[in-house]
Amino acid sequence: MESSKFAIDKDRRTFVKNVLKGTIAGSLLLVIPMGGASGSLEVPAQIPGIRGRKYDMFKQRFAFIVNITRCIGCGSCCVADKREYNVPDGYYRTWVERYIKDFDGNVYVDCPNGGLDGYQTPRADIPGKVRDTFFVPKLCNMCKKPSCVQVCPVGATFKTPDGFVLVDKERCVGCGYCIQACPYSVRFLNPVTHTADKCTWCYHRVRKGLLPACVNVCPANARKFGDLNDPESEVTRILASPDVITVLKPELGNMPALYYEGLRREVVYECGP
Amino acid sequence: MSAVHNGVMDVLTNFVLPNDLHVHWSLMIVLYPYITGIIAGAFIVSSLYHVFKIESLKPVSRYSLIFALAFLACATWPLLNHLGHPERALNMMLTPSPSSAMAGFGYIYSAYAILLIFEILLIYRPVMVALKARSTGLLHIIYGILTFGSDNVSSQSLKLDHKIIGFLAGLGIPMACVLHGYVGFIFGGIKANPTWSTPLMPVIFLLSASVSGISGVIFTYVTIQKFRKKPVDAECVRTLTKFLWGVFILCFTFEMLEIFTHSYLKTHHWEMIHGLLWGPLYKTFWVSQVGIFSLIPMLLLAWMCLFRVGNATLVFWSTIASGMLLVQVLLMRWNVVIGGQLMSKSGRGFTTFHPQFLEKEGILPAIIIMVAPLVILYLLEKIFPMWMDDERLTALDT
Amino acid sequence: MQSDYNTHIKRIVLLLVVAAVLGFLAKKFATPTSFGKYGHYRADAIQDEVDRPLRHMTNESCLSCHPFEWELHEQGRHKTISCEFCHGTYADHVQDGKFAGRLPVKKGEEIKTLCLRCHNKAIKARPKDVIKTVEMPRHLEDQHVQVTHICNQCHHVHAPLIYINHAQKVLGIEEANNGKQ
Repeated sequence: MESSKFAIDKDRRTFVKNVLKGTIAGSLLLVIPMGGASGSLEVPAQIPGIRGRKYDMFKQRFAFIVNITRCIGCGSCCVADKREYNVPDGYYRTWVERYIKDFDGNVYVDCPNGGLDGYQTPRADIPGKVRDTFFVPKLCNMCKKPSCVQVCPVGATFKTPDGFVLVDKERCVGCGYCIQACPYSVRFLNPVTHTADKCTWCYHRVRKGLLPACVNVCPANARKFGDLNDPESEVTRILASPDVITVLKPELGNMPALYYEGLRREVVYECGP
Repeated sequence: MSAVHNGVMDVLTNFVLPNDLHVHWSLMIVLYPYITGIIAGAFIVSSLYHVFKIESLKPVSRYSLIFALAFLACATWPLLNHLGHPERALNMMLTPSPSSAMAGFGYIYSAYAILLIFEILLIYRPVMVALKARSTGLLHIIYGILTFGSDNVSSQSLKLDHKIIGFLAGLGIPMACVLHGYVGFIFGGIKANPTWSTPLMPVIFLLSASVSGISGVIFTYVTIQKFRKKPVDAECVRTLTKFLWGVFILCFTFEMLEIFTHSYLKTHHWEMIHGLLWGPLYKTFWVSQVGIFSLIPMLLLAWMCLFRVGNATLVFWSTIASGMLLVQVLLMRWNVVIGGQLMSKSGRGFTTFHPQFLEKEGILPAIIIMVAPLVILYLLEKIFPMWMDDERLTALDT
Repeated sequence: MQSDYNTHIKRIVLLLVVAAVLGFLAKKFATPTSFGKYGHYRADAIQDEVDRPLRHMTNESCLSCHPFEWELHEQGRHKTISCEFCHGTYADHVQDGKFAGRLPVKKGEEIKTLCLRCHNKAIKARPKDVIKTVEMPRHLEDQHVQVTHICNQCHHVHAPLIYINHAQKVLGIEEANNGKQ
């Protein structure tokens, strides 16, 4: 046992060396230094067209697409999100729900700890035979007509010209009205800052040409983010395709910029059949 | 619960969105509309005398104003205690968002406070001028300030005051309606919450405000008079009781109409609302608010208004009915504010809410906030004699 | 001296005017300068959000110091997995281009837990075309290894099929996994 392990270890080293000889030179070309204030940031851009030119907020259009048929419910996105923002326990900027349908048409939904721990075990409390299970990641819908912005009494939550709904931590009085008004329950009162808090689609990353943290870590490419002004971007292609794309609670008229590919009836119509 | 609500709960698997587990609007937001309701209601009582000249209400005409002022002084307390950043509360007035239903509160509340305070000061001016002459020390200075340094109580001066008082009292009625109807709209304007987003909400809030205000005046008037060992003016209570009955009929009708509309329209929200009312809210809504604290007072009020009831009996049962209605309105606030939040926006389940005794927005702070207006009322009484049998008034008022 | 019949009214009006003027001035001076530039909000709040420090980077940010691991990872089937998901955030490791702290290395059962977050077949929701799932401990039994085995005894965590492919090559077995590591 011990000796075989040693052999593999040794083999790994030679393997890596071989790999390096062949390909590392090519990979280095990917590194584009950003320069400027964030000089230490030497990672290649993930969203083309943001770095190296003047960012005109009034001309940007972004979209976020979640593909239900690809989500494997690993919860990487939830973990990344919690780490990126140090989200206090018990509050969620993004989460992954699990839907289970049985053969009688009953729908069982759960979301233990917001999906932070992933889904390690099957649900034990379902009496019927399980027909189908799927995961639904949720995050800020970045409504084009956001209710939270409408109701904020002090102008502390707002929609930027480039379409991001953000919270001004310095103006927020912490009344919680936006939390009541959000149809998607993506908002919470941060117990540390005592201000409203929510998913920002990682605005600070996007403005640096990086993908939102959750998109960046998604191993299954279930979360996609991109520039709608870029005809080559994946999101532009998907939204122009004849596939069924839909949004959550469309009847409320909030016009989300978060789209779902392969969204299921059980998610759109809250009360199961 | 599935036994209570057969069928629906089998489908609703009690999935609560992770952020919906927290009830962000707690006891404080239950008290806030309760207190503003009492203010608006009590003001309307005084206006019935000052504007509509209902003479039988004279014994409580001053008291109800001071009563409203005492509660007005505390109306912002629950809000400030609730805010994550109370020190930024004035942002509400510095940068009020024109699109927000809540943003107007600062200005509406302030305008109402100014109106109420000046109406009181003008009504009391001749009394205070006289009391100033008699008093010494601190009280002398206070009366000096409150009379704006003017001791002119000539008939010309009082005539001017009277005109302004009439104007303020008249203006106060729509203002009181705006103040409280508006509080209802804060809830009614939330489309994300199907139990709140109904155009009936401002109407229900306004009517229940009148109920709580009139009940508050009757209940405290009778209780205080018993304490002071002074006679209760039964005619006054009788008139108040009649108004209370009328307003409560409307209030209760609209409360039930709202539920009936939901149940009849049977939109896709109905399963959730049904689940809420027959589930987590069953005790506080059906048993308490509707069963005990609406139907019993309703019968008592009907009996007192429709039959010839003796004075002592009337005063006793009217006080009981008023006390019960004060609880009814508080329960209604609870069922709207807390109940609405128990329904997760997943449309699939309900969360729970159990206020703690000592927490920041817990039961103890709630008790303090509800007792504070009574303490303030006691202190205000030292400056503003509010009983018509008070020798400070009878001797001086002209 | 007796006051005028309307002295108090004049004073009340004066008081209200003074209060209104003070209120107006307070509103003017206490409102942040960038408020209202783009809409009813403080425009500088956008920059505040942009300036939020990054905690996650991308897999490429690990390359300059960890080229071996990076290459291995990039060639294997796990290349879509973020380094930071298993190891922790870049910000906990590097600050201003300098080493800031060690990221904990996952060991033993921790590794198994991480693997099963995605590969557990018992969670019947994982689309087959996206991920290959296994049933535990059946997979270990099928592979004729002890059920106490940890995943990384056969699967390199960065390139899960590298050992297996290599072993098959040594033994002369050709399989569908060709070319993938």
